[in-house]
Amino acid sequence: MAMKAARKRVKTMPKVTVDGQEIEVPDGATVLQACELAGKEIPRFCYHERLSIAGNCRMCLVEVKPGPPKPQASCALPATDGQEIRTDSEMVKTAREGVMEFLLINHPLDCPICDQGGECDLQDQSVAYGRGGSRYDENKRAVTEKYMGPLIKTVMTRCIHCTRCVRFSEEIAGVDEIGAIGRGEDMQITTYLEQAAEHELSANVIDLCPVGALTSRPYAFEARPWELKKTHSIDVSDAVGANIRLDSRGREVMRALPRNNDDVNEEWLSDKGRYMVDGLGKRRLDRVFIRKGGKLQPADWDSAFKAIAKSRPQGSIAAIAGDLVDCETMFAASTLVKALGSDLLEGRQTGMDYAADNLAAVAFNSTFAGIETADAILIVGSHVRWEAPLVNVRLRKAAKRGAKIFVVGPFWDTTYPAHFIGDDVSVLDNLPDEVADVFEGAERPAIIMGGAALAQGALGAGLAFAAQFKLTRDGWNGFNVLHFSAARMGGLMLGYAQKGGIADIAAAAPKVVLALGADEVDWSQFGGSLKVYIGHHGDKGAHAADIILPAASFAEKDGTYVNTEGRVQFAEKAVFAPGDAREDWTILRALADALKVSVGFDSFAELQSAMIAAVPALGEEGLADYGTLPKADGNATVDGAISAYPIKDFYLTNAIARASEVMQRCSAELLHGGEFAEAAE
Amino acid sequence: MTETFQSWGMSYEWAWGLATISGILLIALPLMLAVAMIIYVDRKVWAAINLRRGPNVVGPFGLLQSFADGLKVFLQETIIPSAANKGIFILAPIVTFTVALAAWAVVPFSSTAVLADINVGLLYILAISSLSVYGIVMAGWASNSKYPFFSAMRAAAQMISYEVAIGFILICVVLFAGTYNLNDIVRAQEGFGFGLINAYVIHPLLFPMWVMFFISSLAETQRVPFDLTEAESELVAGYQTEYSSMSFALFWLGEYANILLMCVLNAILFFGGWLPPLNIDLIPWFDIPGIVWLLLKTFFFFFMFSWVMATVPRYRYDQLMRLGWKVFLPISLGFVVVISGYLMATGHYGAAA
Amino acid sequence: MTSVAHLIKSFTLWEFVKAHALTLKYFFKPKVTLNYPFEKNPLSPRFRGEHALRRYPNGEERCIACKLCEAVCPAQAITIESEPRDDGSRRTTRYDIDMTKCIYCGFCQEACPVDAVVEGPNFEYATETREELLYDKAKLLANGDKWERAIAANLEADAPYR
Repeated sequence: MAMKAARKRVKTMPKVTVDGQEIEVPDGATVLQACELAGKEIPRFCYHERLSIAGNCRMCLVEVKPGPPKPQASCALPATDGQEIRTDSEMVKTAREGVMEFLLINHPLDCPICDQGGECDLQDQSVAYGRGGSRYDENKRAVTEKYMGPLIKTVMTRCIHCTRCVRFSEEIAGVDEIGAIGRGEDMQITTYLEQAAEHELSANVIDLCPVGALTSRPYAFEARPWELKKTHSIDVSDAVGANIRLDSRGREVMRALPRNNDDVNEEWLSDKGRYMVDGLGKRRLDRVFIRKGGKLQPADWDSAFKAIAKSRPQGSIAAIAGDLVDCETMFAASTLVKALGSDLLEGRQTGMDYAADNLAAVAFNSTFAGIETADAILIVGSHVRWEAPLVNVRLRKAAKRGAKIFVVGPFWDTTYPAHFIGDDVSVLDNLPDEVADVFEGAERPAIIMGGAALAQGALGAGLAFAAQFKLTRDGWNGFNVLHFSAARMGGLMLGYAQKGGIADIAAAAPKVVLALGADEVDWSQFGGSLKVYIGHHGDKGAHAADIILPAASFAEKDGTYVNTEGRVQFAEKAVFAPGDAREDWTILRALADALKVSVGFDSFAELQSAMIAAVPALGEEGLADYGTLPKADGNATVDGAISAYPIKDFYLTNAIARASEVMQRCSAELLHGGEFAEAAE
Repeated sequence: MTETFQSWGMSYEWAWGLATISGILLIALPLMLAVAMIIYVDRKVWAAINLRRGPNVVGPFGLLQSFADGLKVFLQETIIPSAANKGIFILAPIVTFTVALAAWAVVPFSSTAVLADINVGLLYILAISSLSVYGIVMAGWASNSKYPFFSAMRAAAQMISYEVAIGFILICVVLFAGTYNLNDIVRAQEGFGFGLINAYVIHPLLFPMWVMFFISSLAETQRVPFDLTEAESELVAGYQTEYSSMSFALFWLGEYANILLMCVLNAILFFGGWLPPLNIDLIPWFDIPGIVWLLLKTFFFFFMFSWVMATVPRYRYDQLMRLGWKVFLPISLGFVVVISGYLMATGHYGAAA
Repeated sequence: MTSVAHLIKSFTLWEFVKAHALTLKYFFKPKVTLNYPFEKNPLSPRFRGEHALRRYPNGEERCIACKLCEAVCPAQAITIESEPRDDGSRRTTRYDIDMTKCIYCGFCQEACPVDAVVEGPNFEYATETREELLYDKAKLLANGDKWERAIAANLEADAPYR
């Protein structure tokens, strides 16, 4: 697409010849990119499309004329008109062999005990471009291992000094956590004073590392890439909906890796999304429980269904969706609730009650890719780094392009320059002049409303702000709501919103409450109801439940998820649920039989088509069209201070993460370790 | 033996009964032992010709191998297929085994040692050996499985085909001996060849008859090269396919008992039975008991059976049928005529006949 | 003339007589088979028999859980699970060889970078039950300890050709 766009501007497009094949390349492209456009594979270690150019591995050497009569690093050389590039000459071949031999001089060649083995750039490229043997018989260098925290395992002897990790933490994450000390053979990559890498995206350096120097600590020695079944899935740890690949072996999900999707997660993934998967095997609900005499006792499905039927839920049943459920589950539950003559559906567990009749008013309308281009951004009540780390990366990009960013709410480390303009949301009605001036003059102004702002009831004021500064203009919609639960947008699309929020449901006092993995609800308000928990982890919701029906986690069922942009995405089933656990929709289908009502679907395909018939937008992957923003109520005002953000602990936001040992260790070490250390001092 | 028991004070009836039973046991038990050893010999001969060693682990020189196999088979589970006709399925091996033993009643082990010295001994043998096909047909039918069934059909056809030729060959011998009594047939061979050799086989008209009789006895007992009923490449294990454990062992024992019977008949009919080979008192030639001569001759024929097995490949079924009906039947029929003519011409049968 | 000869030949069973003479000659020839349980053939150092997991002379197990044998095994007879040992080294927690699946191709020992899994000289390991042929790590290590001398000698004998 970039090429098509480039082709229109013929004047500035240099023409180069790659191995005798003449092509036009976009202006500003490097020789390496030109070669790629010509379909030539150029080996590389340090070059990475999303990082700055370093040119220090020398693996991408090609022969370029005109130029000095020696091979040149193609990644750092701009393509200019009339260049003649050769990637297949004897000189290039010898150069690559030479570079590879040098790179392998100090590399320990311990592939059999290296976790990168089988997916290692150095391994692959030395097979493809190396000369097969080394002439080096001196002693090899050894480097002490560095501690980089509970997620990153280091074997620094393997490091080839490509500095991808350094560039990532500086440029993408925006924290100077990883750096190089020493020069030449003594160069070592390390964190400052061997502190743990604390950034929420720190584990991405594992993917970036072309060798086995930085590997995944929780996944250490667990499996080989060829043993793993790869399944495309969607990250449910936040509302970004990062595209992930679940690698599973047998019935166990071994790891999660990001997939490339420029619109959503580029090629990054938050540490929580990456590492909470070990929680899928812990604290699982794998059998039916019924509360008898105040204690949960193991039981079977029939008696559980009978107990539910006995409480006569006809006309008095509610469904509360948790943060991790897929649209199909929510639709199946809503069908069941409606078949029983009720319409009590809610997904905002913590009691938020913003109006959800116009979904454009509660979506991230700029899109993640779009927010990069904003030039003035007001963040209201959102700890973006914790609520959506991947969006923070976009905001950092915007800041680097010159966007002015203001934050309403308590201080947090933004990783980019931002002005905190107080905790009081009333500032929306009455902006300081310097802020107002910035938004007056901005071409692409944007506002991001976070969970804390919504809880404060600031949505109307936000819309008024949008109207005041014309956030919607030609080709630009700057009004954004940043959710942080994966099920939120899907739930809102499926009608999981009462006018008064969850309080309405508590007031209706239904006989039966179906909790679809709802762990954040204050269950004390449902004292008189039979609480049926359909979920996968023995977390808060299960503790409060009267009947537990074990269900499948996101990795164990097919499902549709909608991210905070309104992007509909489909996740596939990677493994089977443990024990007696079943896929959620089958439980709801069986419950419908037990309650003697018809829900109109007998298979997942039928359920999905019924759901798509009800909400057509869920049938198509990609951004859903929510229409235009509602007319702002000019009189909408809001006041009150944001005392804290809803996420207290980044690593423990959902049931899976709370069950995960890795996440618990991260929380203890990276978030509370400092406090402990300070307390000890 | 009856007299011995009578001399002990028994009544004749009791003595006769006891004598008969002990006679039967005296034949049957050593026969079983002989079958066990003969199986061992079979394997040894076959192995030797194949340049192998054969069984050599169980007992000295592997002599106890057959008993080990017997024990193994005995300890196995008897499987009766659910689709089988249960009664007939169980009855079939018993019939085979019993019939194979019954024929031995008229075999003269020496001039006196014969259980039933009847005048129609040869007819009795013909009748009994025809019955042995029943066991196989019953097994093939009762197994309710296609391979045993095919095998049983083949067995029936094969036995009928060769019994015809055998019948004519036996008539030739009877023509020479002038009797159906096996003991008398043996006696008739004394000094048959120039007053020197005690065997019919040296007669130029009887030698081809013996060759045909030997081949037919291979066919009659379903030995290689005529083991079409057990052609494992075509019929798995033939009529025994569904059998296991003791019922399988009974088939096995019956088969080898039949083979032994055929060897004994070869010896009796053509090689002078319990007579020494030569009618001269070389060493204490006639003092050696007749049974030893018979056993030696039987063993020699059994060696020939094994030898053939190790040498000749299996016939095709149509070749088998062709040999029986188009070669052996006309030739043996012709020989009956020729021998009768010869005997008339040479005056063996004068006005006395 | 030939037909007369043919006729004579077929009526005298000449071919059969010749064949039987031949087999009778063989009957008396010396036998070629070994008296197996009492005599055994010499084995090549490359003989591929029962599997074993070896140790270093200091008692440390050689296997580093690289899983190359598992990957190369064409019969998928090898199952390995691994995790870091307490000292941080890469070790197997499970190393199973299903001897009923194994086809004795020797790829596992070819693939092994540390000569840990080898097919030793033992070929007499018949068992009474099928379960006994599902070897686990303990059994394989015990095999290695038991056959180490023979295995080491074989590896050394074959070393110049590897």
